[in-house]
Amino acid sequence: MRPRLVSLVLALLLVAATFTLGILPIWGPMSGSAQEAKGQRLVFASAGFDESNRFWVVARPDHLQYDPFLETLLEVDPKTGEYTPRLAEKWSPSPDYKEWTFILRKNVPFHLGYGPFTAKDVVHSHSMMMRPEATATLAGFWRQVEEVKAVNDHEVVFRFKRPTTVMPYAASRAGDLRIISKAQWDKEGLEGYEKRPAGTGSYRYVGRQPGLSVTYERIDNHWKGEKPAFKELVFRLAREESTRLALLLSGEAHIADLPRELQKDALKRGMKIYSSSFPVDWMTVYLGGQYYLPGDPAFKPDVAWTKKPVRQALNMAINRKELLSTVFAGKGSMTYVTGWSEKSEGFNPEWQHRFDKMYGYDPSKAKALLKEAGYGPGQLKFKILAFTEPGESEGPQVAEALGIYYKDIGVATEIEVLDWAKVREMFRKKAIQCCIWPNIISWRPSEEWIRTSYYSKSPNHHYENEFVDKHYDALTKAVKSDERQRIARTIADHLFDEFADIPLFWFANEVVANPKVVAEWVYPGLAAGRSTHFHLVRPPAK
Amino acid sequence: MATVTARTLPWYSPPRVARAMRQARRYPLVPLTMLTFLLVIPAVLATQVAPHDPLKGALAKRLKPPVWQQGGTIEHPLGTDKVGRDILSRIIHGARVSLVVSLVAIFVGGILGTTLGLMSGYFGGWVDSVLMRLVDISLSLPTILLALVLVAAVGPSFGTVIGVLVVLLWARYARLVRGETLSIKERDFIARARVAGASHTRIMVKYIFPNVVNSLIVLATLQVGYVILLESALSFLGAGLPRPTPAWGLMIADGRELIVTAWWVSMFPGLAIMLTVLALNLLGDWLRDHFDPKLRHV
Amino acid sequence: MQRFIARRALHSLLAIWVMSLIVFSLVRVTGNPLDMMLPLEATPEDYERISKHWGLDQPLHTQYVIFLSKAVRGDFGNSWKWPGHSAMGLVWQRLPATLELAGVALGISILIALPIGILSAVWKGSGWDTAAKVIALLGQSLPAFWLGIVLMWIFAVTLGWFPTSGRGGIEYIILPAITLGWFQVAAIMRLVRSSMLDVLDSEFVKLTRIKGLAEWKVIWKHCLRNAAIAPLTFFAIIAGVLMTGAVVTESVFSWPGTGLLVVDAVRARDFQVVQAVVIVFAGIFILTNLLVDILYAYLDPRIRY
Repeated sequence: MRPRLVSLVLALLLVAATFTLGILPIWGPMSGSAQEAKGQRLVFASAGFDESNRFWVVARPDHLQYDPFLETLLEVDPKTGEYTPRLAEKWSPSPDYKEWTFILRKNVPFHLGYGPFTAKDVVHSHSMMMRPEATATLAGFWRQVEEVKAVNDHEVVFRFKRPTTVMPYAASRAGDLRIISKAQWDKEGLEGYEKRPAGTGSYRYVGRQPGLSVTYERIDNHWKGEKPAFKELVFRLAREESTRLALLLSGEAHIADLPRELQKDALKRGMKIYSSSFPVDWMTVYLGGQYYLPGDPAFKPDVAWTKKPVRQALNMAINRKELLSTVFAGKGSMTYVTGWSEKSEGFNPEWQHRFDKMYGYDPSKAKALLKEAGYGPGQLKFKILAFTEPGESEGPQVAEALGIYYKDIGVATEIEVLDWAKVREMFRKKAIQCCIWPNIISWRPSEEWIRTSYYSKSPNHHYENEFVDKHYDALTKAVKSDERQRIARTIADHLFDEFADIPLFWFANEVVANPKVVAEWVYPGLAAGRSTHFHLVRPPAK
Repeated sequence: MATVTARTLPWYSPPRVARAMRQARRYPLVPLTMLTFLLVIPAVLATQVAPHDPLKGALAKRLKPPVWQQGGTIEHPLGTDKVGRDILSRIIHGARVSLVVSLVAIFVGGILGTTLGLMSGYFGGWVDSVLMRLVDISLSLPTILLALVLVAAVGPSFGTVIGVLVVLLWARYARLVRGETLSIKERDFIARARVAGASHTRIMVKYIFPNVVNSLIVLATLQVGYVILLESALSFLGAGLPRPTPAWGLMIADGRELIVTAWWVSMFPGLAIMLTVLALNLLGDWLRDHFDPKLRHV
Repeated sequence: MQRFIARRALHSLLAIWVMSLIVFSLVRVTGNPLDMMLPLEATPEDYERISKHWGLDQPLHTQYVIFLSKAVRGDFGNSWKWPGHSAMGLVWQRLPATLELAGVALGISILIALPIGILSAVWKGSGWDTAAKVIALLGQSLPAFWLGIVLMWIFAVTLGWFPTSGRGGIEYIILPAITLGWFQVAAIMRLVRSSMLDVLDSEFVKLTRIKGLAEWKVIWKHCLRNAAIAPLTFFAIIAGVLMTGAVVTESVFSWPGTGLLVVDAVRARDFQVVQAVVIVFAGIFILTNLLVDILYAYLDPRIRY
């Protein structure tokens, strides 16, 4: 017999065996919804999120997976951005702002037949944030709560160690305290909760296909009377941008989270952009090594941008208008001080008038400033760090654009692409004097942002000095609104005048949708997860 | 073209036509021509041949289409990329980068593998056992995964990428050389040399190695293409060469999300890789068929 | 023979152990997972708390001992990017998808390679032969992810014949399988071609005629032994290549297999999952090789070294 032929036959048999082994699982059902009537299902193609029902370990941007079915005490109004009643009807602080009392709504049922929402559920939900593994964005805030007390079935009091004014923010849809059912937990435990969490939203959780999708289904008797237009809601995970675009264009998805580059192409094919009502994220280029506390060993005086003229030069070398129109397709508005939007405490409208003169595009002035600081052409060299996150792909592009602008003023740069965790480690350990890096961060109340980024005693070290520290301490103690505005403005003005970093743009959250399926959608963008309020998506009138 | 086939023709009496054809086929003309234009000239004469500086871009000129499409200019015949750099120039310089990276990696990996393979085959015993275990482990390393992990730790750089490639490549050389050494070392002339008092090193270098060179060359040629593909795969996953190096793999990764809107950013470097690797594979196949059919299974 | 098996088995275990050591150290060199787990707002106390919770405050060798002692029992710890799932659980959950993809990819590449190989052997040296070689070589020259994206664009979006990504019925697997399997076409084609050439080789036909039919039994027995060796080795290698090649393909098509799992895990610094995936992959590869070696030795006693 022919040996090679025999071997071939054997190989084919082996392959056929693998084939059969592999093919067998294929005939299992997907989510069964492929057969559902198309008009009833809304599919959102997302860049991805950490898939888990344990909301207390999931970061705020990934809370979008809870938005349809787990609610919060306060709502964020999609048009005005204000905090309005939701599961809580009324809320008020004590005079010293150390205690916050919430009056809860009555007759709110949980999904899966679990009883009405009461204060016990609030206490229980908060206790999730006290678990040892809690790493939610605001877990640190929630763990500062000394006691949560259920005064009666519909009144709950949070007592803090120190006064706080950000409680409404934290308890709203922009925060991460998801209200879950204590009754379910008592009966089914963590396992039961994870399998089918009961919430109070107008959609209920149906199931997940790990790595692929999450499915929700509309309920009939929502306590607020919310009636979403689509019976079924599916979040499809697709990490590749071109895959999301393909899903949208082929009709498999109806809304897609697309980078600005691809939005153009979708628009050409008849798609529409749905922008959030408010700017949500800003991009700034941070300058490492600005540790100005006296005696700080991490401070290295030979780092060029510890000199103010250099910082100003690095700002003036950038043609922000061109950068915005090319890399970001013109979608964005100017950031004057990193972290401050018009909604922020301490925002100063004066900045807009002064910005052009101080930060505007002027390469010859930039060169002059550098020379004044002692850096002639070709004498300044540093690294630009870049990284990408799912859904944020412009980092390396901005870095390269910066490199080109800086080359024009005689500054040599080298781009290093790392991952976010590495960059974070560097600025945590004050090891980032070498470099500058662009980063996109989402909006937080001013006090939170200052604490995270400028306060010297936080784990992150960007720009710190005694001035900021002193005023931050004052801010944490201030409770009256006008005093807080004044202090916050003082800090922000200081950062503006000192060119603390290179502010670039504010971005609204933009998703692209098929106008045949989505005719209207208003959402604030400031709610946790950016793309939220899916119950407000309306199809075109028939 | 083939009017006669091996099936009907006994190998010991070729007619004139077949002999002439075989003579023409003495040199693998097609792959060599392709390689000269795709790899050798660009790599050696990059700065002279490329119309623009591959690192200099202007945001105003970004994503210009190739010259034959609406909006394209002759100044940038293959278009521009996301930050306005000329694609043709980057492809030309990319040939140099690809060639350098693969040659260095293969050279280092080859030397390492050959040395270890020679020692392993020649000395046998525990040296052989240990080295072959290392080879096994090395070949079972899930290559891309480890590259990802390593680059996440150390950051992308020429050194890292070459290091990863060397770790992946050396084992094949070691195994090949060991196999050949095993069969050569029993031969008479080796025994004679030993009797004459030659040292082990001398025997390995002067007697065994020259007999192994042929196979090494074939393997190396076949591997250049593989290494170029691997580098582009690593770049795609973010574990490749650092920006803004004009490396083909990096260019495809850059244009990945634009494959729809600005297809030229990924298409041309992809074509460059494909044609180059094709030519290398053809060359390697030819070399193997003509020099060392033993390597058929490589 | 038994000594041989025992020795090879021992070597394989050694290889797996060294792998675990390599993966363990490499993964910890990538840096602190805490920076991925904790939000920007985290306080120093949060860092301490989470570090303690996951045992990261222990010295490295203690961590390794704990890891190893659990790993031998199949417990690779809990994932922190996918809370509530164990690392091994995730691997088992995703492995069928990757095996499925690899199997179908192999099947498709055989479907393409078989006719090409036969044709190129039958018309050896002709234009067909060269054309076939070029087609197969093209497969080995294309970057896989590029092919995937182009295929997706042409067939899924423009023509709408297939869905763009995800896993479901048979239409979801075609494009990813072609992308993954195309590379193997050349190798398989070569095998087919050379085996067909052997069949057509007049020497062998002559031999069988001389030896006569009674010899069929001997030849069959002899052939079978030798014949089994080649495809087994081939299969083991292909399996390894397909599984690692799946990483890129799964990324492009969002195919929920172990390749995608590990890419996400590396990015998220999820040590436990990365360790689990790498060790499982390497383990499968090493064990397959072990089986092949044992079969080799059984079929051909000369090979026992």
